[in-house]
Amino acid sequence: MAYSEKVIDHYENPRNVGKMNAEDPDVGTGMVGAPACGDVMRLQIKVNEQGIIEDAKFKTYGCGSAIASSSLATEWMKGKTLDEAETIKNTQLAEELALPPVKIHCSVLAEDAIKAAVRDYKQKKGLL
Amino acid sequence: MGTPCHFALFDLQPGFNLDLDLLATRYRELARSVHPDRFADAPEAEQRVALERSATLNDAYQTLKNAPKRARYLLALKGEVPLEVTVQDPEFLMQQMQWREELEDLQDEADLAGVAVFKRRLKAAQEELNESFAACWDDAAQREQAERLMRRMQFLDKLSYEVRQLEERLDD
Repeated sequence: MAYSEKVIDHYENPRNVGKMNAEDPDVGTGMVGAPACGDVMRLQIKVNEQGIIEDAKFKTYGCGSAIASSSLATEWMKGKTLDEAETIKNTQLAEELALPPVKIHCSVLAEDAIKAAVRDYKQKKGLL
Repeated sequence: MGTPCHFALFDLQPGFNLDLDLLATRYRELARSVHPDRFADAPEAEQRVALERSATLNDAYQTLKNAPKRARYLLALKGEVPLEVTVQDPEFLMQQMQWREELEDLQDEADLAGVAVFKRRLKAAQEELNESFAACWDDAAQREQAERLMRRMQFLDKLSYEVRQLEERLDD
């Protein structure tokens, strides 16, 4: 199966790889995994006082599509409000990366990671 | 049930703790009896049946000999298991992330001794998981826990695959 150019670009030059301090009250961490393929994904956001995501980092152990999906997700989240970030859909990620049907679940994982990170942040702030 | 369960195929009792040597022996015996070579001169219909049986047998064997696949199969015998789900099992995933990072470091340092230590720890974790699963899969009240353990097994299975790949790369 051939990867699209966009997937290869994100795979070879992943954006925002890294780690934030999960104990930081301004950081939300989403940890998700896909048991069928063994992928593990960590996505973190740093939110400023205006409720804007000012930084996002990820680390993914998985296939190229999973790495590209999470890389793109962090790019899209930056500068967005939490509510806006939560509206990012896996279908948008999959479309942008031209993922083939068998790799759609990688974008689902990234969407779930976004939601988990936002939820973690809201929980920390008592917003849930 | 139209088709016999995988365990019955090998004349074994359904269960998680399986005598893998016995399974392998029975598989080889049965595989010989349906091997396509034996049907080379048989009518086409018989050849087709033998081929189908051979495929079924192989599929059953691959499922039973692998711990997470066997676990999933046992759970599926009792009720539907969702195929593709995102797991949110934070502590376990955190540890998986850590182990993946360690493995990455071992790779960068080409540390074969370190890989051996890693492998032992992974194997111990797998055995512990297997034991926990064996103790609860048959109890309907613990179904959720059994499914969680089965998914953890899948992650560890993938990880041990990665370890084998790394060993091969370091061996070259």
